[in-house]
Amino acid sequence: MSDLGLGFLSFPVLLALIFARAPIGLAMLICGAGGLTLLTGSPNIVLAKLKTETFSTFSNYNLSIIPMFLLMGQFATLGGMSRALFRAAGAFVGHLKGGLAMAAVGACAGFGAICGSSLATAATMGQVALPELRRAGYSGGLSTATLAAGGTLGILIPPSVVLVIYAILAEQNIAKLFLAAFVPGILAALGYALAIALYVRRHPEAAGSAPALPLRARFAALLPVWPVIVVFGLVVGGIYGGWFTPTEGAAVGAAGTGLIAWATGGMSWRGVQDAILETARTSAMIFFIILGAASYNSFLAFTRVPQELSSFVVGQGFSPWAVLWLILLVYLILGCLMDSLSMILLTIPIFFPVIMGLDFGMTPEATAIWFGILVLIVVEVGLITPPVGMNLFVIAAMNRDVPISATYGAVLWFVAADLIRVALLVAFPAIVLVLI
Amino acid sequence: MDRLIRQIARLSALAGGVVLLALVGMICASVLGNATLKLAQMGWVQSALPGLAEGMRAAGIGPIRASYELVEIGVAFVIFAFLPWVQITRGHAMVEVFTARLPARADAALAALWEVLMAAAMVLIAWRLYAGMLGKVKNAETTFLMQIPLWWAYAACLVAACLAALVTLWATVAALRRAARAWA
Repeated sequence: MSDLGLGFLSFPVLLALIFARAPIGLAMLICGAGGLTLLTGSPNIVLAKLKTETFSTFSNYNLSIIPMFLLMGQFATLGGMSRALFRAAGAFVGHLKGGLAMAAVGACAGFGAICGSSLATAATMGQVALPELRRAGYSGGLSTATLAAGGTLGILIPPSVVLVIYAILAEQNIAKLFLAAFVPGILAALGYALAIALYVRRHPEAAGSAPALPLRARFAALLPVWPVIVVFGLVVGGIYGGWFTPTEGAAVGAAGTGLIAWATGGMSWRGVQDAILETARTSAMIFFIILGAASYNSFLAFTRVPQELSSFVVGQGFSPWAVLWLILLVYLILGCLMDSLSMILLTIPIFFPVIMGLDFGMTPEATAIWFGILVLIVVEVGLITPPVGMNLFVIAAMNRDVPISATYGAVLWFVAADLIRVALLVAFPAIVLVLI
Repeated sequence: MDRLIRQIARLSALAGGVVLLALVGMICASVLGNATLKLAQMGWVQSALPGLAEGMRAAGIGPIRASYELVEIGVAFVIFAFLPWVQITRGHAMVEVFTARLPARADAALAALWEVLMAAAMVLIAWRLYAGMLGKVKNAETTFLMQIPLWWAYAACLVAACLAALVTLWATVAALRRAARAWA
């Protein structure tokens, strides 16, 4: 079989392994190492590469951002920032119809600004906001759907672990990608608030009520939130302003939320241990996938599949927009099955050259950034798409008295808001590129 | 035995966490030192307090030059030390939709199959890391600025990689037992 044929054959094999519940990193490692062995006719090259490949993959200065951002999110949780954010947002909009749910979305956006992971945001905000929403009389379906959707803001609003990975794979500037995600992230929060407003118009019984607070109390609730603003400003502003590298920004952020946790008394020995163990679990999970992807991608590069596929698509003279929509559709479907990081590591090496080969009337850098943000949003839609979205399960596990069908019904409104936003960003790339 | 293995994985993860915290501290010290030195080097500060910048530089205040390579070495150990914990807590990303309704026997067999392959991968990784370490001993490669022998970093990672292999092998034995029970 030709090298190219072997490369193309590896896709269905890899997908079959993944769908048969192989750990995704392991499946990629098997296909990468196996493919290279078949290609070269002996395992020697694979064995020689592995001598240094694992170490050099793990000892990457740019990738060291990931455990630090994860630690930052864990410390933010210890510091009780999720509760402070929810209280502050609730103080301002809680008395509106559906306002407490909107406050939860706002708090998720705020927490996303100091946490780079979607599941962590959903889990943390869920613990804080779910009980309060239910106590205020909000329906189970609306409460759970709101938090599942709000959790995706953890990834959209910078800093974001997924964007770091995209930046490395696509060789783009992390600071610019963070900045580009900002406006779409705000739009996402506004879109979710709108979805809530429309939902409670349709189902008035789903919204509970909360008393309006006097102005003085509102500003008092705002006070405990200032450390979040300082840390976010320092990290994102510092990275973009060129004061420090993204890795340094992540370390400063972790130290910042660590200080907050210490000041608020959340930094018990037990708490620190839990924060480290949770960071360990997620970091190791991510790096194992990165290792598998490195192995698989170096095999693919040998077979020249990415170049051939790219020049094939470009040579066919398809409309760039049709290709883009098709790719986004693939992400939407895959996103229902897989976590966003695995998906990005699996597909960007293949899809990115295709997109960069097409002409969207923008500079290559603008195209790369715009495509990255689109992919980021679309894979996150998968997290809340019934019946398999992972955020839905995280939230459902916290609130067992709500039937999952009730969550499904309400979450579709948020999915609709997401899809409208994707269409907007595809039609008007300027929304993404305005800050750059 | 179960508890012992779990405890080993936990301690390994905590050791990685301590190194991670140390890296965070070092980077912050470097950023802070750099910022204060830049401040002292500003024109108006230099004219108001002549000699301050030189004094600070002499006292070692400033960016930590070797920060970059220490992060690279350190984070490799951190990730290796985190690996046993993700194994023991079954934290790997996987797609469970298509296998959710498998009969108990097929499910146990499939779980055992992936555990066996995972153990093979972990042993392979540890073994090749060992070979890689021998290579670094032989060519006496060091880091650029601090001249740290690279094989030291490999050796530290190797310890963690062996723990990861051990933990995974233990999980494999447990999965095989479960499969055997399901088929009995």
